[in-house]
Amino acid sequence: MSAFAEFDRERQEIDNLVGLGYNVAGIYEDLDGARVTFIRREPAGGPVELLLLTADARKHVTTLLVGGSRQAAAEIHR
Amino acid sequence: MADLSIDFAGIKSPNPFWLASAPPTNTGYQVQRAFEAGWGGAVWKTLGEPVINTSARFAAVHFGGQRVAGFNNIELITDRPLEVNLKEIYETKRRFPDHTIIASLMVEPKREKWHEIVKRVEAIGVDGLELNFGCPHGMAERGMGAASGQQPDLVQAQTAWVKEVATTPVIVKLTPNITDITVVARHAVKGGADAISLINTINSLAGVDIHSWNTIPNVGGQGAHGGYCGPAVKPIALSMVAECARDREVGVPISGIGGISTWQDVVEFMLMGSTGIQVCTAVMHHGFRIVEEMIDGLNHYLDEKGLASVTELIGKSVPRYSNWGDLDLNYQVVARINEENCINCNKCHIACEDASHQCIDMLTNAEGKAILQVREEDCVGCNLCSIVCPADGAIDMIALEGGAAPMSWNQRSRIISGVNGSYSEAEVG
Repeated sequence: MSAFAEFDRERQEIDNLVGLGYNVAGIYEDLDGARVTFIRREPAGGPVELLLLTADARKHVTTLLVGGSRQAAAEIHR
Repeated sequence: MADLSIDFAGIKSPNPFWLASAPPTNTGYQVQRAFEAGWGGAVWKTLGEPVINTSARFAAVHFGGQRVAGFNNIELITDRPLEVNLKEIYETKRRFPDHTIIASLMVEPKREKWHEIVKRVEAIGVDGLELNFGCPHGMAERGMGAASGQQPDLVQAQTAWVKEVATTPVIVKLTPNITDITVVARHAVKGGADAISLINTINSLAGVDIHSWNTIPNVGGQGAHGGYCGPAVKPIALSMVAECARDREVGVPISGIGGISTWQDVVEFMLMGSTGIQVCTAVMHHGFRIVEEMIDGLNHYLDEKGLASVTELIGKSVPRYSNWGDLDLNYQVVARINEENCINCNKCHIACEDASHQCIDMLTNAEGKAILQVREEDCVGCNLCSIVCPADGAIDMIALEGGAAPMSWNQRSRIISGVNGSYSEAEVG
């Protein structure tokens, strides 16, 4: 499998959860990769844990969070 | 024609091209010929208690057909009495009053020794002093040169002793043979340095003769470590100049030294924060007249850029030199191979297969011609293929547009800490 295909599979898992209304509740990185915990408030769901192995997927999930922070900051300043 | 003159910590010079303290500035005869050729200044070969030098002294590293890619020496400071040097400095300054003469000095780390030499040298009329805390061989074994320069407190103390009596600007020359050169630079400034110069030579052994088993160079079958310089050290020097230039606690003018051979090198060092530069190895390889090409090249470059003065270059690239942790992880470049320029040597394919991410495929196009093609989705943009490619224009590194918003490693670390530190989930999207 190409590196991109491995990343794409992990990205789809992340995006699927986000699409279902899940948010990131925790990220713990160790020698095996990043364990990302997702939970959903309404309707209550999870926790769901993904073990992200590829660098691009680990980057993707935090890029979503950085984007979320920027969006929140922009809303505060409105 | 742009103005090439500089003001280096109060020292006026007709251009930024100075000869470094080294064999080309050993005598008045040499320095005067250098000034006639066009050099704006010279740092006189280090003055101190005269030494006795060895034979042989120099060695070079030739690489891939390039002679003198690196240069190694075990020569020490001047082997002539102080008064002989001072007489020649006086004569040279009299003939070339508008050119810059800096006296490089090295004595034992004792206050009275520094006071004595500073007073005697300044009495003859020099434009500034450069304290040699960098020479890595010979003198260091006697507590001078790099042995002093590797102890920040000793650099500070000796600089302060010099400043107690000096009436001209004091430049402290730094050794690269240390973990963090900015520590020593900051201590030089604390001691009162008006400027710093870097880098001195790097500890080295040029080679071993595989037939005789002698070191290169050797003195009757025995060798010792020397100082390495020349084009091979330029990236190391440039990095150290940049680190000092962006350190706010340093904050004094920098004279850039290390492998400078062309006008382009000069531009790079000035963009990275040098107010002026010093050259040695290129002159030892090609002679004083290389300065003519350097002056012409710099003049044309400044005209093309529409700059009226060479000083407009100083430090312009420093804000672009950052920490790895602040680089944008979402910036993405990919390799693209231009079939019309590719000579199908396969070096990019081999490099990518063996040393990178296996994303260059060997294919056959519709006309049956062998082609190389990058799978862009798998390309990490490492640049290796374009580095090894021998054909101009065959591989371009293209920045992808419309990617994710910028995110650095440091930003990422902060956001992960924030998520893990809060009890509620973080919003995404």
